[in-house]
Amino acid sequence: MKHTLKYFFSIGLLMSLSFVQAQDTIPKTNTPEKNKTEGVIPEAPKKAVTKTATTAKTDTVVPVKKDRYGLRVGVDLYKLTRGLWDSNYKGIELVGDYRLTKNYYAAAELGSEDKTTEDDRLNTTTKGTYIKVGFDYNAYENWLDMENIISLGLRAGFSTFNQELNSYRIYNPHPYWGEMPWITSGETFNGLTAGWIEVVAGVKVKVFNNVFVGFSVRLNTLVYDKKPSEDFENLYIPGFNRTYAGNFGAGFNYTVTYFVPLYKKTVKPKEEKKKK
Amino acid sequence: MKKIIVLLLTAIMSLSSCEKDDICDANTPTTPRLIIEFYDISNPSVLKNVTNLKVIGEGMTEGIIFNPNSTDESQYLTNGNKIAIPLKTDGDTTSYNFILNSGNPNPILTDTDKVTFNYSRADVFVSRACGFKTLFKFNGNNAIEHTAVPATRPKWMQYISVEKSNIDNENETHIKVFF
Repeated sequence: MKHTLKYFFSIGLLMSLSFVQAQDTIPKTNTPEKNKTEGVIPEAPKKAVTKTATTAKTDTVVPVKKDRYGLRVGVDLYKLTRGLWDSNYKGIELVGDYRLTKNYYAAAELGSEDKTTEDDRLNTTTKGTYIKVGFDYNAYENWLDMENIISLGLRAGFSTFNQELNSYRIYNPHPYWGEMPWITSGETFNGLTAGWIEVVAGVKVKVFNNVFVGFSVRLNTLVYDKKPSEDFENLYIPGFNRTYAGNFGAGFNYTVTYFVPLYKKTVKPKEEKKKK
Repeated sequence: MKKIIVLLLTAIMSLSSCEKDDICDANTPTTPRLIIEFYDISNPSVLKNVTNLKVIGEGMTEGIIFNPNSTDESQYLTNGNKIAIPLKTDGDTTSYNFILNSGNPNPILTDTDKVTFNYSRADVFVSRACGFKTLFKFNGNNAIEHTAVPATRPKWMQYISVEKSNIDNENETHIKVFF
């Protein structure tokens, strides 16, 4: 238990470091003094926590604490800002979760994407919307009134989209007559759908008040997809991202969320667990 | 549970490094070439080797390379009984000059036949890495136009037979030439 805890704190610290850096970009309206203090906050309590961990174990004094339950809503910053530097991309993703029990959260993502993919011999544009619904399990044991989350979750994803073949090139391994130029197509395939399962590993850290920043990585497995035609295939699926051979995909998001507290529950003391 | 998370994280980190997998495998069947086999006119079931055959596309200065290992003129010459020649993917006709005994010091022994192939094309999706390929279909009525160069000379190819009108792959013989 001690070893895993150590492991966890080191990861938490590592993650929080990246969040500390990221914070600089978010609250630009604040005064620089505030920024500085806020930037240090996430690290400080963790050092204290490691100390209390040892003291708590020896003294077996469990402080009475209350867990807050409520709804967390926010937006994926990566998708939102990507359109600024990537002219081939426009997209938005809204994220939300609702705390069901001590460790379980119902979670969902709702998004829309418009992406042009430039491959060596293909240029396609995919437009569509998607929804992902599932749950997160918080595996992080918070101390005192911390509300950080290191979670593992599952999602079922569904997307409806269209794909346009803008242009393509013929592959000719024997270019005796010279390399062929791009051929403009403009063929559009409408009414495409896809469904998939995602495994999500994520972190959410409270930066101040009810504001959280989070990061998650996802591994996707395509369950089904309606292909554009017998010969053609879906090269990009909104929400699922780029398709790979073997129905495999991957993704991530970088969120800022606001927690709306609804009610509180007293945490049961740990001794009960030990007796069981 | 916690170990699983760590495992997952490391797995994802390692996966992100191998995104560029877009190389078209050379073994993937893509745009096929026209496969021609040469047969003996006096014994039509027997393959016959050509002697120093050079094949040049109309309007091209260099012939098709049959021996990539050679560097001099011999790289354009073949003495086998089977050749593969590429068709144009941006036009519906392709013309080739077939020069038998090419490079022979005695010009009377060198024969040139011009063959024009008429076909229609279809672009078919292969994969993300390979893009599209072009498949060909010979025209039903005038698949082949065959003349000697100059026209006063006799043709060295005595009979040309279209074996397969659909050129979808390189595993079958599309044209048989008897001489």
